[in-house]
Amino acid sequence: MKILKKIDTKYIATLVFSIVVALLIGAVLMAVTGFSPIKGYSAMISGALGNPRLIGNTLEKAMTLCLLGLATAVGAKGGLFNVGGEGQLFFGALAATMTGLWLSDLPAVIVTAVALISAVVVGGFYAWIPAVLKVKIGVSEVITTIMLNTVAIKICTYLVNGPWNSPLKSLTKGTDYLPETLRFTKLITASNLSTGFIGGAVVAFLIWYIMKMTSVGLEMKVTGENYRFAKFAGLKSDKIMIWSMVASGAICGLVGMLLIYGYQGRMTDSVSNEFYFDGMLVAMIMNYNPLGIIIMSVFFAILSTGATMMDLTVGISAQIYDIIFSVIIFLMAAQKGISTWVDHKRLQQKAKAKARKEIDANVGTDSSNI
Amino acid sequence: MWEQIAAIFSVGLFQNTIRNATPVILAALGGLFTEHAGIMNIGMEGMILTGAFVAVAFSFTFASAPMGVLLAVLVGILIGLFFALFVVKLKSDEFIIGMTLNTFASGLTIFLLRNVFGQTGTWATKAIKGLPAVDIPLLEDIPFIGPILSGHSIFVYISWILVFVVWVFLYRTPYGFWMRASGEHPEALETAGVDPVKMKVLASVLCGIFCGFAGAHLSLGYLNCFTEGMSASRGFIAFACVVFGMANPPKVFGAALLFGFLQALGLRLQSVGVPSDLTAAVPYLATVLMLVYIVASSENRKKRRAKKETKLEVEAENV
Repeated sequence: MKILKKIDTKYIATLVFSIVVALLIGAVLMAVTGFSPIKGYSAMISGALGNPRLIGNTLEKAMTLCLLGLATAVGAKGGLFNVGGEGQLFFGALAATMTGLWLSDLPAVIVTAVALISAVVVGGFYAWIPAVLKVKIGVSEVITTIMLNTVAIKICTYLVNGPWNSPLKSLTKGTDYLPETLRFTKLITASNLSTGFIGGAVVAFLIWYIMKMTSVGLEMKVTGENYRFAKFAGLKSDKIMIWSMVASGAICGLVGMLLIYGYQGRMTDSVSNEFYFDGMLVAMIMNYNPLGIIIMSVFFAILSTGATMMDLTVGISAQIYDIIFSVIIFLMAAQKGISTWVDHKRLQQKAKAKARKEIDANVGTDSSNI
Repeated sequence: MWEQIAAIFSVGLFQNTIRNATPVILAALGGLFTEHAGIMNIGMEGMILTGAFVAVAFSFTFASAPMGVLLAVLVGILIGLFFALFVVKLKSDEFIIGMTLNTFASGLTIFLLRNVFGQTGTWATKAIKGLPAVDIPLLEDIPFIGPILSGHSIFVYISWILVFVVWVFLYRTPYGFWMRASGEHPEALETAGVDPVKMKVLASVLCGIFCGFAGAHLSLGYLNCFTEGMSASRGFIAFACVVFGMANPPKVFGAALLFGFLQALGLRLQSVGVPSDLTAAVPYLATVLMLVYIVASSENRKKRRAKKETKLEVEAENV
């Protein structure tokens, strides 16, 4: 009951309204370009939930989106915008793959543990750089993380297609495949869903718990919302900022590993197709609320996998997903802006009315004095 | 050895430098306005992409390149107004709106390309009319310099003129003065009787127009085609150039040329065995380093000035 009380009904109403309007705009786009919207959306739903394999893929996608969204939220709550998750994910995936390949003779448990540590450390380190630059020198982390994304992706592309390219000839370039013993067991056969999902769920729960239920989470929130206040309150704000960014990067690194060990099996230059930006947008839509991110990523996973299948079956380009996604954000931003504008106007009118009354009253007393 | 170096630093290298730099120059000049008006505009990527698509689509429909450019500019104005509506009027987070604008543009252009024009990947036909190339008389006859500077697409020369025009606008006209004030001291501007909101909207619209130019040049300047995701993070590079050049038109122009040069050099170095993926990463890394340098040195300057002032104050007290 306590949780129910906290839910912001106005926010949810806006969200539902935005989603409905965005889906309608999607339908209009389909209709204008000569497709039946009903056919399109039904293909989308059956493409996401039609059979166990597809449900598995959708759940895997939801986990990826959710963890990446939470990674954004962790950084944002601590006061730093981590736009560089894509690069951290790439490096994390590369580190996990290469440790797996180099240590493949050791027992699987040890290798997985070492790979996990290396992915998390590498991802975290790559987020540490912009965090330190921001906190110690004052360089905008938004710009540096955007730039470092491309740097990471280019370096990974070079390594994967160059020195670490698989000697076995295959259609696409990439590293060797990890041995079967190392890869996570599939929860649903032939789908992307593996035991990594359980690990991902545990991590998601932990993040939610730390952010909402512990003092660390509160300290992060205070720092993120008001840096000066946090500093005067005696919090080590600089440290908190840097570490929340490192945690954000570490989660991205972990997602990289889950993608490889879960279903991709080897590192390629297309390990992630801007997954991080999707996760980031989910986090933005949900205002960095951890629980909201977890719920909303399932919805967007359905849209995303469904859109890919719809592209294959009906021929409507899967990019309709990007359009629906961004329209929702625009609508929510518009609603927020309009409501604050209206509130502002109302306050202004109230103040004006009050001032007028006071003036009238003053004029009254003045005239009596004369 | 020397032959190899000579082969790398050939006419082609400098031609490519100018080719690569021009879309970035145009977009960065647009980004200058928003930067001066105090808006962090990372939506330029989407603006360029839309401009490129609209230019190709209407050059194809009307079989005329000027119509393509005109429509790209009109759409650029609309995007600028759209961006301003959210960022200036509704006071949304400029970062979120910029990122979303990029996603929206990328999604919409690919959707329209595939479902309206029935093309996937790259769209190139003879029916897409390109912009004319300009040969400059006398200049083109000078060896080495002639072929580098002459014979480019028309927007290359327009962009050079615009560098000067933008400088004059920003630093020698009242509008430019107000625009800079709207970013630095909006309250002061309001007291002076000019609405800072209006100046910010103007900056955003101008940015839309310039990004429309950049997009049109990108798609109609040389290859007359549209490729999915054609802007290829040029919007971000343009944004980096604005920061790099400290929002001063000639300096931003220099920064964009430097980026173009590094990009062209990377492709050339591939022939000597330097992997192009690594050289492609260099401009981005350079931006990070440059940013660190700019911020650190300006902080230093501030500290030094503060020290000097306290010193003077102490001296004054002693006297």
